Amino acid sequence: MLVDGISRDLCCAGCEAAAQLILSQGLGRYYQFRSPAEPLRDQLHPSWQVFDREAAVRRYSHLNADGERELSVYVEGMHCSACAWLIENSLRQLDGIEDVQVNPSSARAQLRFDPQRVNLSHVLERIHALGYIPKPLAFTAADRDGDAERRRALRRLAVAGLGMMQVMTFAVSLYAGAMQGMAPDLAQLLRFVSLLVATPVVLYAAQPFFAAAWRSLGAGTLGMDVPVAFSIGAAYLWSVGATLLGRGAVYFDSAVMFTFFLLLGRYAEMSLRHRSGMRQDALARLLPDSAARVSATDVVRVTPDELEVGDCVRVLPGERVPADGEILKGSSDVDEALLTGESAAQLRAPGARLIAGTLNLSGAIDMRVTRVGQDSTLACVSRLLERASMSKPRIAGLADRVAAWFVGAVLLLAASVGVYWLQVDATRAFPTVLAVLVVTCPCALSLATPAALAAATMRLARCGLLVTRGRALEQLARADRMVFDKTGTLTRGQPRIDQMQILGARLSRERCLAIAAALERYSAHPIARAFAGLEAAGELGPVQSHPGRGLEGTADGVLYRIGRPDFVQELCSSVPPCPITAADAAHTTIALGDSSGLLAAFQLSDALRDDALETLGGLRALGLEPLIASGDREDVVGAMGRRLHGVSAQGGLCAADKLDLVRALQAAGHAVAMVGDGVNDAPVLAAADVSVAIGGGTDLAKVSADMVLLGERLTPLVRGVKSARLARRIIRQNLSWAVLYNATAVPLAAFGWLQPWMAAIGMSASSLLVVLNATRLLTAAKPHARPDSSAAAPMPVAA
Amino acid sequence: MNILYLLIPLGLVLLALALGAFFWAVRKGQFDDLDSPGMQILLDDERAPPAAGSRQRDA
Repeated sequence: MLVDGISRDLCCAGCEAAAQLILSQGLGRYYQFRSPAEPLRDQLHPSWQVFDREAAVRRYSHLNADGERELSVYVEGMHCSACAWLIENSLRQLDGIEDVQVNPSSARAQLRFDPQRVNLSHVLERIHALGYIPKPLAFTAADRDGDAERRRALRRLAVAGLGMMQVMTFAVSLYAGAMQGMAPDLAQLLRFVSLLVATPVVLYAAQPFFAAAWRSLGAGTLGMDVPVAFSIGAAYLWSVGATLLGRGAVYFDSAVMFTFFLLLGRYAEMSLRHRSGMRQDALARLLPDSAARVSATDVVRVTPDELEVGDCVRVLPGERVPADGEILKGSSDVDEALLTGESAAQLRAPGARLIAGTLNLSGAIDMRVTRVGQDSTLACVSRLLERASMSKPRIAGLADRVAAWFVGAVLLLAASVGVYWLQVDATRAFPTVLAVLVVTCPCALSLATPAALAAATMRLARCGLLVTRGRALEQLARADRMVFDKTGTLTRGQPRIDQMQILGARLSRERCLAIAAALERYSAHPIARAFAGLEAAGELGPVQSHPGRGLEGTADGVLYRIGRPDFVQELCSSVPPCPITAADAAHTTIALGDSSGLLAAFQLSDALRDDALETLGGLRALGLEPLIASGDREDVVGAMGRRLHGVSAQGGLCAADKLDLVRALQAAGHAVAMVGDGVNDAPVLAAADVSVAIGGGTDLAKVSADMVLLGERLTPLVRGVKSARLARRIIRQNLSWAVLYNATAVPLAAFGWLQPWMAAIGMSASSLLVVLNATRLLTAAKPHARPDSSAAAPMPVAA
Repeated sequence: MNILYLLIPLGLVLLALALGAFFWAVRKGQFDDLDSPGMQILLDDERAPPAAGSRQRDA
């Protein structure tokens, strides 16, 4: 195959067809400008005919006034502007396509087509033929709202910006005229023209401030928009009066400039918010369009909504997993990057958990559906992200409470300044009051802190650390001790039974294993997974769990205990303890026994996570002292601590002991971060200043931690601490700047040394400085900024 | 300074035109994507469709 005159090898016939299509349309320049190719993946050929059904057409597109249909398609696998160009130009050559706009940053194509001449399925097929995966988006109100909000904001900004330039010209002329002398009729003309230009700015562009102030007053509070609306309104009305009466100074310039800079700040904050929202968007769109449901007789393609718990689904290589489930048959590499930030594919074998939305890369899998819809991991992640964005961090909550008082104080101050100046020099009373109101506007604070937090949250979510509570970032930045659970946290949490020792020889080996397996079914502890694959003894009586120690339950009328040897020994304290062969330090010993003695001992081993050492080292470098607290035997835990370069490690702790440990550290003045599996450690996690749960193995819906580590790696913790500290530093800089600024500017304004326009410039410069400072968090995150950049994507040709 | 009576209204007319143009551009979606058009200028210069497989790098 010749591309750009150079002969290139293609990987398969499919790629050749795609390349030929591209070249035959004269679009070969694509190959010069596209980003480096991704590794190739085979793709299925889903049936696009589904989208020609009347219901689908109506769901995904809408009819405009000219009888054309408009639709929006999320194009998976689009990486750069070259891709966008390719899709646009290729689609334009289809008959019946009226217009195509492809936006590479949101990976969306906006299409307008004539339904008489071209079918939706043809359009989608063409995109697919180019090597991308089109996903038509159902028209949602939220999409349109976001766009409409942006456009409205842009229009307001333009009116305010252009208006400001004009009014400033006139204002400068007026100031100059006041000094050098100007014909009165000319001055009056300039005032009238200023009035004319300022009116749409105040009535149209500044409308959001008036609306917000009105709402806030209606709710009986003093929001920060109240002084804003008051200053704009007062400056405008005063100036209108002065213009009409033909005497006194006008302040159109201050009102207009204030409006423009405030709008600019809001616009910056809005774009930040929309960009943060895009990731959530991307998550929601990970589900495939269809799934192959396998029944005893045949295989049927259904939509993911139709799947129910217990269904068996076949996932072919290149397909996304349609629901949470367990592998029944087959094994494959699974790409979970978008959810966990983990770039390497994970090998999943029968029995392993699959998460909806992850990409099956290498082999066909049959899976059993375990969770669908709102219970699925994807839905939980979205909900947790939403919760984090809703719950306000302490600092923002404080700012809100303070704001009402602050605004009250500002209004009082302005009033008293006004009264004072009325007695001293009545002509200067109004400009001074205006300057005080404008200069103290607290908008910088109330915009920049949430902006910084949103940016930091988004940045962490991308590397697989999900912040579920607003206060978590703040606390993580403060932490100086990090307590790790061992099993399932520092280790992989997939223990194996390496050795089994039968004690007393009263029960057979099989019977011991069966009872152990039956008991462990009732445990969510990672240790229980070692017994998961074994056949369990029938029904058990009530099973009681002793967290950190073991389980107790009745089988065939006999009470059994399984767990730490000392816990099991308590049941049979009258019997002299059987000697358990001492395990080496890498093994954990679990005993099984009844009231007449120990029955068996199991030696379990669990490998350390690959990046445990690196993570603990990284934390230490950041001044966070790691600690290991485990319910496991002292020497096992101690050996692990030594292996991890002498991290202090305590073993033999039950849940209450761990709680005491955390409390003791807190009493000694430390801020403690606790990392655990999120279910067994719940009370300890709740007691710590900030808690991180390893989400990899557990049910996300039950996790109560402040943060969840989504992948199998620990290193995001280090990045998390760094980002949290950066966010804290930026918020502090912003706060101190704001305090410093107000402390200097307010007296200046109150003593009448500041003109209102100077106050407007000062306030705006201060706000912009603060917002830009917060944006630094986002720019630092830029290399990963595209929500779809980690999505697995096919490229047309391996060039 | 009488010229100002002409120039200022003229300025206002220009302002109105500029605003009108901007509103039109926003409505037409010109501001929805600010990233890719910068790249497209590199791509969109037309070249004759290559005869498949035989073209040399000569343009």
